[in-house]
Amino acid sequence: MANPLIGQRLKTLREEKKLSQDDLARLFGFKDRQTVSAIETGERRLSADELLLAVRELGAPLDYFTDPFRLVGEGRFNWRQSNVPPAVLGAYERVAGQIIAAFRTLGTEVGEKPPLVRHSLRLTKNSRFEDAAEAGERFAAEHTLGDVPAQRLAEVMERDLSILVLMVTPSHAGVSGAACRLPELDVVLINRDEVPGRRHFDLAHELFHILTWDAMPPVHVEDATETGGANRVEQLANSFASAVLMPARIVREAADWRSLREDALIARLNATADRLEVTSSALVWRLASLELLTKADARAIAASEAIRNNGHPTGLFADTRAAGRPALFSKRFVEIVARAVEEGRVSIRKIAGLLNLSVDDLGDLFAAHGVPAPYEL
Amino acid sequence: MARWRGPVLVDTNAIIEAWRVNAWRALCGGYALETVEECVIETQTGYQKRRPEQQIDRDTLLAGLKAAHTVLDAERAAALVRDGEIAMLDEGEKALWAHALARSDAWVLCGPDKASLRIGVRLNLRDRLISLERLLEDTGFRPKTALKSAYRQDWLSRTLVELAQREGKIA
Repeated sequence: MANPLIGQRLKTLREEKKLSQDDLARLFGFKDRQTVSAIETGERRLSADELLLAVRELGAPLDYFTDPFRLVGEGRFNWRQSNVPPAVLGAYERVAGQIIAAFRTLGTEVGEKPPLVRHSLRLTKNSRFEDAAEAGERFAAEHTLGDVPAQRLAEVMERDLSILVLMVTPSHAGVSGAACRLPELDVVLINRDEVPGRRHFDLAHELFHILTWDAMPPVHVEDATETGGANRVEQLANSFASAVLMPARIVREAADWRSLREDALIARLNATADRLEVTSSALVWRLASLELLTKADARAIAASEAIRNNGHPTGLFADTRAAGRPALFSKRFVEIVARAVEEGRVSIRKIAGLLNLSVDDLGDLFAAHGVPAPYEL
Repeated sequence: MARWRGPVLVDTNAIIEAWRVNAWRALCGGYALETVEECVIETQTGYQKRRPEQQIDRDTLLAGLKAAHTVLDAERAAALVRDGEIAMLDEGEKALWAHALARSDAWVLCGPDKASLRIGVRLNLRDRLISLERLLEDTGFRPKTALKSAYRQDWLSRTLVELAQREGKIA
């Protein structure tokens, strides 16, 4: 029953502190560095006294070496946010890391294997926006996302690409979403309290980052816009996202856009955006990229109050969004949690705390995803 | 069945459930109950992770306990080195096992979570695991409010067999 995690964490901490195996061997009083190597690879168990020595001398708490529900020296994030203080975002990143680590740890515990293959797009920073849009078009077509791609995107990402998609309630409303890359797992987090159009755009945008992470690693923190600001990678991500959610064929068939003027144009914009479950402003920019609207018209309409909340009277869109708010996390995530609880792989109080729920709320979570609840505690 | 006369280690779940079914007085009247400081904290309002919460008076709780132990880092480290799966438990459950494993006397542990029971099975301490129902029955107390399933003896027996099979420890 050796605990291999302790050796792995010791190695990570040693490297973080730029210590050699010889340095650690001296610290522990071992004859040579081979003993340290054996501990790091899990061949030799660290004794309790040695573990306490490591805690004392390396300045890390006991949990650092033993807690499987934290990301240590791994996990890179890309956050889409608006005006979130760095300290708040940092604190939420730790929470998100625990949730992701929980999925990975519990998945392993119940015998799930990480995906064998990681998908990627053949795009680089030098790719044109048209290339990114074409990739989005092809993605929607090849994964048969249908006439409302937003509705099936999360399901396709989880099923076809093995990307974990988690609906979350962040600690700050300005957090729109995030992509997270671990060595063996890709995750997208989406703020489920945002309006559907923004949620879907964030999802497609983060999908781009996941699929191009090696070729163009995203920045740690970006502003949640639909135009991408000055950052080329973000602009490419938005071109891709727009095309996934609003394929040219569907957009062209929705109206004779060039013939519409003023109120009729606004009304058709809002109706089409509602049908595609995107924001009207995202549709405006998509029309501009397809040259169905001039850039000048697009700028004017995007700044117009008439498309705010997709033209719904003030508050209506916000009021109704709770009804369509997705359940917390995802069915795949909840199934893993339920199996782990049922098999006694994690305690109910532990997982409830990690997910910021009460023991009794867990029952509601299982029910929301149609997953049979484990035993009653 | 003969009532257990030695120390009974109770975790947060067991304390909250005993309180919920108004069995705390009977329980502490019948046994030398012991726990750890983490579990005492977790029974207090705001830390229970339950909805609704029980109103558990700290003084009354402590008066019913023979001891609420402080768990030393050395005990935690020894437990986690012995079985890394202890890290899959919540703080109170983890601390209670760290304390239990450091004791040399004969104790029984009442902690109904399957993950806690699994630790007992993995460490060949299955005979030390006891249900809240059994503890109460042996004192002659029958709660008017039904215990939840995980606190009943038949559930414990079934679960221990299931866990033992999964861990390859069939008796």
